Amino acid sequence: MTTQDRVERKKRNEMLTNLRKQHPERVKISQAKLKEQRSIRKTLQQVLKTKPHTIPQLAEATGLPAHQVLWYISIMKKYGKVVETGLDEDYEYYLYGLTRETE
Amino acid sequence: MPEQSDKSNPPEKELGLAPDPSPEEEPRIGVYVCNCGGNIGDVVNCKQVAEALRNIPNVVTSHSNMFMCSDPGQKLITDDIKEKGINRVVIGACSIFLHEQTFRQAVERAGLNPYLYYHVGLREQDSWVHYNHPEDATEKAIRLMLAGVAKARKMEPLEPVRLQAEKHALVIGGGVAGLRTALDIARSGLKVTLVEKSHFLGGRVAQWERVFPTGETARTLLQRLLEQVQAEPDITIHTGAKVVKTKGYVGNFQIHIRQQPRGIKADFDAVDQAIAACPVEIPDEFNYGLKTRKAIYQPYSGCYPAGPVVDWEHCTHCEKCLEFSHNHDINLDDTPIEFDINVGAVAVATGFRPYEPFPGEMGYGKFPEVITLPQLERLLAADGPTGGKLEWNGRSVRSLAMIHCVGSRQVDDVHQPQPDGQVNNYCSRVCCTATLNAANIIHERLPETRIYDVYTDIRTYGRGHEDYYTLASKNGVTFLRYFVEDIPEVYPAEKGSYYSMLVKVKDQLTWGEEIELPVDLVVLAVGMMPNPVDDLIGLFNITPGNDRFLLEVHPKLSPVETSVVGIVLAGTAQGPMNIQESCTAAAAAASKVVVLLGRGQVEMEPYVAQIDIERCQGNGDCVRVCPQEDAIKLETFSKNGTSFQRAVVTPANCNGCGVCVSTCSHRAIDVLGWRLDDYEAMVDAITAEIPVLEGVPA
Amino acid sequence: MKSDKIHVDTLVVGGGIAGMQASLDLANQGHQVALVEHSPSIGGMMIGLSKVFPTLDCCSCITTPKMAATAHHENIQLLTYCEVQSVTRNDDGFSVQVIQKPRYVIEDNCTGCRSCELVCPLDLPDVENEFGRTAHRVIYVPFTTAVPQKAIIDIDSCIFCGKCIKACPADCIDFTQTPQTLRVEARTIILATGFKVTPYDAKKEYGAGNLRNVIDAMMMERLLAPTGPYGRVLRPSDGKLPDSIAYVQCAGSRDETLGVPYCSRVCCMYAIKQAMLISGALPMADVTIYYMDIRTFGKGYEQFYQNAKAMGIEFVKGKVGRIVEDEDQNPIVRVELIDDNSRVAENKHDLVVLSVGMLPGYDTQPIYDVATAKDGFVQIPDSNVAPTVTTQEGIFATGTATGPMDIVDSIITAGAVAAEASAYMHLHSGSPAAPAAD
Repeated sequence: MTTQDRVERKKRNEMLTNLRKQHPERVKISQAKLKEQRSIRKTLQQVLKTKPHTIPQLAEATGLPAHQVLWYISIMKKYGKVVETGLDEDYEYYLYGLTRETE
Repeated sequence: MPEQSDKSNPPEKELGLAPDPSPEEEPRIGVYVCNCGGNIGDVVNCKQVAEALRNIPNVVTSHSNMFMCSDPGQKLITDDIKEKGINRVVIGACSIFLHEQTFRQAVERAGLNPYLYYHVGLREQDSWVHYNHPEDATEKAIRLMLAGVAKARKMEPLEPVRLQAEKHALVIGGGVAGLRTALDIARSGLKVTLVEKSHFLGGRVAQWERVFPTGETARTLLQRLLEQVQAEPDITIHTGAKVVKTKGYVGNFQIHIRQQPRGIKADFDAVDQAIAACPVEIPDEFNYGLKTRKAIYQPYSGCYPAGPVVDWEHCTHCEKCLEFSHNHDINLDDTPIEFDINVGAVAVATGFRPYEPFPGEMGYGKFPEVITLPQLERLLAADGPTGGKLEWNGRSVRSLAMIHCVGSRQVDDVHQPQPDGQVNNYCSRVCCTATLNAANIIHERLPETRIYDVYTDIRTYGRGHEDYYTLASKNGVTFLRYFVEDIPEVYPAEKGSYYSMLVKVKDQLTWGEEIELPVDLVVLAVGMMPNPVDDLIGLFNITPGNDRFLLEVHPKLSPVETSVVGIVLAGTAQGPMNIQESCTAAAAAASKVVVLLGRGQVEMEPYVAQIDIERCQGNGDCVRVCPQEDAIKLETFSKNGTSFQRAVVTPANCNGCGVCVSTCSHRAIDVLGWRLDDYEAMVDAITAEIPVLEGVPA
Repeated sequence: MKSDKIHVDTLVVGGGIAGMQASLDLANQGHQVALVEHSPSIGGMMIGLSKVFPTLDCCSCITTPKMAATAHHENIQLLTYCEVQSVTRNDDGFSVQVIQKPRYVIEDNCTGCRSCELVCPLDLPDVENEFGRTAHRVIYVPFTTAVPQKAIIDIDSCIFCGKCIKACPADCIDFTQTPQTLRVEARTIILATGFKVTPYDAKKEYGAGNLRNVIDAMMMERLLAPTGPYGRVLRPSDGKLPDSIAYVQCAGSRDETLGVPYCSRVCCMYAIKQAMLISGALPMADVTIYYMDIRTFGKGYEQFYQNAKAMGIEFVKGKVGRIVEDEDQNPIVRVELIDDNSRVAENKHDLVVLSVGMLPGYDTQPIYDVATAKDGFVQIPDSNVAPTVTTQEGIFATGTATGPMDIVDSIITAGAVAAEASAYMHLHSGSPAAPAAD
């Protein structure tokens, strides 16, 4: 890293710190949200590591409401963390598994 | 004639020659496979297709994408052209009818000649027809794309044929749609000629009483429009006129018009006497046969153009009217005149006619008490046969039934088909609100009159239309609902009954109970059918749809354009519409005409025949088979003192059909952009072994 | 870079299908157009739809090329993420003040590569495009086919972690951006301000939005779209493939209690279309449509309806009085069956779709002084003959700003408004527009 890079980085970090200071309430709320999302995503990933699950199975395994699980799974699918692996026995629910990259 | 028009419209580019041969450049082909939002991708494995094309000679890059036509999809192509030096583009997607222009523009934007792109139809020609066989469909897609690549290797840059365009449009039809179109074109600075086959402007609207949703009389509305049209100096009106011959193409149509004379001078001052003297009496079509008229007539006072005309078909030349004619005010020997005009575009605003029930259909034609809704409108009109009084047999109508969907929403095996074997399976859009509007007018004038409304679905869909339904309910109109399998029956009551007619309805609102309605009058809310325009269909090569109305190219992409560039549709020639919808469609049609002609120049596809003068033997087979006028002819050349004949093409008149190509035994003709060599290369590619690819996920 | 003063012939307000088409028609006639859109992308409501009736073309295949054509047209200036603040009349027409909202991304440099979006740590419900059924990040490109393809930051949710700054290859992130004022001088204005749907939670009887498996038709469009939140039709409560789906027609139209007495024109057709698409996507599913009148009045629409009946979609004439749910969140529809002696039935479905109607998207009174009628849509005094002329001279209206209508009709009124505006400008200056933007 060149000196110039280091100066740039320092300047950037100062700016970001300032921005956070300017909007403490908003940032606090968002940080709390982020923490929650990270923990739920981690929980879901741990369950999915074992084998593909349906939304109700994930809900039961994690204790989260099914609609919330669906929300997380749709996002993880959108950003390439999760894929559909097939249907359950009754052809009622899709099974979701981790992508290779996520495993 | 063609020579003349060629001189007056000199083509910008020297025609008949091949474009400058491009410097021999190695084809660098970009291949793009579109999922079409699942239309293709749900059947064809687009990724696999793109993979299979990747290692083909000359293919530099190969992608699949969800929507190639979207901006990011187009950017993929333009970036490849700029960054990877792609000089040929092959896109497997929907149909060229949807997006050829889209992709041409994208390719051109990136600096490539737009004709160096080839479009493979993977939707209509593959995924939609083989939806049950995804694997085979994928293989077919690969083969079609390979053929596209083979074609792309041989593509050459082309230039569209640019021709001067007449800044002058023809509008056919003088009803509200035609008037509106003419007005809007003229107001944007182009000249307009309007031809109307009858002797008067105003069309069907002139026959109506009060219109929804504004509540004004149809006459007031029409008057307003007519005044604006008359005030527009760039509009020329010919009434009693018909298009009888046409020639040419967008920008340069030559239109031959025949105009019937009026037979009577506009300032003739003994109109009433002359009409009274005429002994001929025929049903008056303006009043839908509810009264008669003479062979000298005007539809209504205040019509435009003002003054009566001679009905040449029915005039017996008895000359009784001439007694009142001074200074040759009436000329019974008047003859039609014929003339030509040159226009750049044509708006077809030929309108509709009301459905005519078959004799006996719900008692129509059998019992005088059964009339149609347009006839009812005449009875309600102040200048109608009864002066606006709703009377039957000399007394006010005490009870009437209005039956919806007569001649609309018909089904096979229930309804009698038209002569072409088809029933009218479409909804006519306007009849529901028009019927309720009439019911409300009747209630207003005769509050004691009992009104039954017999419907299948009430379709008061438009802005303000629902109010007419609500008001009718408030006015005490009784609604009954029938199913199409139980068409209401109309028959006379027993002699001496208080009401002369009975209507039997199996009413679904009372759970299928059979109800007999005693009435004085039965009104059939008849639907719309297009005015017969077979002559224009033939003259302009435009197409009607299954419903017989003229067909647009695509309801969303080209909603008022026909498949013939330069011919647009305005109003009910295209389908049932109310006045507002007709005026809207007419204005939209005007907009397209202004876009087309505003610049005074039109572009045509460069796909025209080209002669290889070295191979041509001048035997003239091509000239004999050419279906176009003046597209190909033999000219005399001389070399070393001997003269001989060779074929020469006039590109502006050639439509690139290729009939000449197939006739030429010396292989001396090709259609630019579609050479025989191209086809051979494509056929070879389509039948070749295809690369096997496994394990590419969908 | 946009200049802060723009001279055009016509300012078009609203970048939905009507606004885009009006812009294209005018631009193709040689007029200079500025198109203002309040969202970060043009495309309007239409770009969110799945397939469109009666052709069943994929909706993106109709919309996205129009979006591209609008964006690339040499006579059209796009002003996305902008809002009109005030309009004053002057000798030549109008002087319009427009606020450009900050994206916090330098628009001219952003290539839409999404590197920023992929590293951003926080998910936000995508309310704008997906009714919250999935999410986007705090920095995001609005949707895959957005025009322009430019990222935008939801600044209120940003934690200023700086990951996007590091990830951006084009150095586009700019937290210092503030709203900018632009001035547009235009000879005419076209209002293409569109519609919004009647709120699906307005009716207490239908669960007031509290029943997870009662959704509205716009949400269903997203479930049916290939780019939608799940990529397929799943019910929102638990991701189940629905076996039995019901449509409740006129849920928000022809309903005096909601103050919407009029018919919204499109709901019959979109319900039938969706039912057909569901039959394609879920061949085993039963689809029932509860209706009062089926109004398939457009060209080819009646035949579309008859095809749907032939496909086995069930049309039941009935009044839906109430929707509740059982313990598994299955909606129970209480319906008076008109064709069955008005018997009241309670039918269980997996998913219920409310066929919501159309409300005006924008009140044109305050800023444009353009009168609205009692239904809230732009008032058209001479609606039969001049269907796009408003109460203000030089200001015209098109599409659903003038009342409920479908896409076909919106496109046609857009052509009509272009003719009207062009004629007006011709009449009031005699010469076509001078191409100028300083």
